[in-house]
Amino acid sequence: MIGLRRFALLAGLAPWVAGCRNTPQAKAAQLQAVEATRKQDLARRLALADANPTKPVPVAEWIMPPELKEISGLALTSRGTVLTHDDNVGRVYEIDPKTGILLKGFSLAGGVRGDFEAITIAGPDVYLLRSNGKIYKFKEGADASQVPYTMYDTGLGKECEFESMAYEADSSRLLLACKKFLQKDAAKEVLIYRVPLPLGAGSAITAMQIAMKDVIGSNKWKNFHPSDINIDPFTKNYVIVASKEKGLIVVTPDGEVVRSQPLPGDHRQPEGIAVTPDSLLLVSDEANVKPPAITLYRWRE
Amino acid sequence: MPVLRELIDVVTMRSDRPVRRLVAYYVILAVVVAILAFFFPGEIARIAAKGLGDVPEGPTVLTDALSSPTSSGTFGLGSLLGVVVTTIMILLGALVLMLPVTWVYMSARPSGGQHNQNVVQTLIFLPLVVAGIVFIVQNSLALAFSLAGVVGAVRFRTTLRDTRDLVYIFLSIVVGFAAGVQSLAVGAVVSVIFNFVLIITWHYDYGRNMLMPTAAAQWSRPLQALASPTGDHQIPDRDLLLSLTPEKADALAERFDRVRDQIGKKKKARYNSILTITTDNVPDAQKQVEEVLERMTKRWDLDEVITNVGKPSEIYYLTRLKKSIPKDVLLTAIHENADGIISSADLETGEPVDDKSDKG
Repeated sequence: MIGLRRFALLAGLAPWVAGCRNTPQAKAAQLQAVEATRKQDLARRLALADANPTKPVPVAEWIMPPELKEISGLALTSRGTVLTHDDNVGRVYEIDPKTGILLKGFSLAGGVRGDFEAITIAGPDVYLLRSNGKIYKFKEGADASQVPYTMYDTGLGKECEFESMAYEADSSRLLLACKKFLQKDAAKEVLIYRVPLPLGAGSAITAMQIAMKDVIGSNKWKNFHPSDINIDPFTKNYVIVASKEKGLIVVTPDGEVVRSQPLPGDHRQPEGIAVTPDSLLLVSDEANVKPPAITLYRWRE
Repeated sequence: MPVLRELIDVVTMRSDRPVRRLVAYYVILAVVVAILAFFFPGEIARIAAKGLGDVPEGPTVLTDALSSPTSSGTFGLGSLLGVVVTTIMILLGALVLMLPVTWVYMSARPSGGQHNQNVVQTLIFLPLVVAGIVFIVQNSLALAFSLAGVVGAVRFRTTLRDTRDLVYIFLSIVVGFAAGVQSLAVGAVVSVIFNFVLIITWHYDYGRNMLMPTAAAQWSRPLQALASPTGDHQIPDRDLLLSLTPEKADALAERFDRVRDQIGKKKKARYNSILTITTDNVPDAQKQVEEVLERMTKRWDLDEVITNVGKPSEIYYLTRLKKSIPKDVLLTAIHENADGIISSADLETGEPVDDKSDKG
């Protein structure tokens, strides 16, 4: 039988073990404290950045968990958070960029694997893009849930390899910037396809070409390979980032390049970009020497 | 371990039966896991079912690279601690799942078989190593190829004496894989079912070939082999004799003595069949069976009683059947007389030589 002394020891340990339990209330309180501290830190860093607008410095850099080692696209939600995903699997995470708290994660039903490169939100629907031009449409899910999806093949996979997608609300179209042309004799330009919503309704896909010399501008780039595209909420211009060139361009919906510059800071593999309504530029980097991260800068027109 | 043994003793009321002890172990394990899951639900879900799909994580605070040393490009102490804790937990998980497998391996041996200590220890170590490898390799094709190269260079091979040992080794690899991909729930189900299936097949001696020698008939084969096929009974098989160790020769001589005592000096064989009874209640079974034997056989003799722990004991009788009573009638009578006391009754009849000699 268990000796009295051992029983007493176990009885003594029980309250200690019970105290170790991270109750939902305790966890919520901890999170609230972290949120408050981080919002204060961000406000302080933004004030410093605003005081010296000529020198762009990061105001926050959130290290991603191992599940987001190959973090790719970014999509802003109406709640001020961002949806992001890993390159290899159809699993979406929601992150609050101002506090660096990963809020939830959900997957496409069946744990779909594939080369997922970009994400965007159009109303109640979320869209994930594969590099071969296939688009997965689904609704946002709860934490740890699996959501049903429908897949639509744009047919553009024969022409281009894609890594970027954004939703242009004004025209109700998805924008897909071609990263790499698969035809050898393709023109040297930045090509943005416009895919009308709803998908598969029969509306024609159009494209917008931007001359490479306009894109490169005064930079030393030889080419420009878009790795993500997003919409500036103030001007409705297209903000495009290129991982290979570590560059950023801003293009009007008419195709006029209004900005072409190197990315601020030290980015090893920038795969996603977003501009928030409160003037923050978000850049996501895959793990590459440095750990995967989302970096925040002050966004200036 | 003594505490665990004491707990198992308490739950099983000090029973030695493997099934009861196994059930007790898993009950204790389930209680411990339930308590841990109550206090640390996220951590337990992470090692038990992460590889199976989505595990609710709840909000997670990400590291702020600008206000911590992680800005230099390395993961922080918190991440390191998390990896260490997860690794320890999956290794402990693999260990607690493999412990009962080793117990089953050691106890559920075929009659007269001995377990191999090397295999027992391998069953403990192998899943730990496999779990470690899989935990490192998972999601990395490059690492997987590197591992294949390293393992190819090491080239370890061994021949296992019993093919069943191989199954245990496979099970330990399965548990190791399950631990490595943080799906210990799968490993637990596989090992629990494996253990119980194995114990049950061992308990009922499932698949035993009736032509295989029983414990009582062990001596019959060497005797037949030693007897010269020419019938002169003078020169035993030379190769067989040369293969005997002194201990085996002594054992054989002892059996010869027993047989001589049984047969006496008569020319006819006294017995022509072996009755095998399995029971949990040897004294009562003997009483009931012997009543029937007395009534329905020409002669009988109690040959051997093998007392087992954890499965029914075995009683062997040498019998000579009456010509008027067929085998099935005798077995039916035994079953009726000892209903509820015996587990099984089998009658192995020998060569019909004796019947011919009786006729002739």
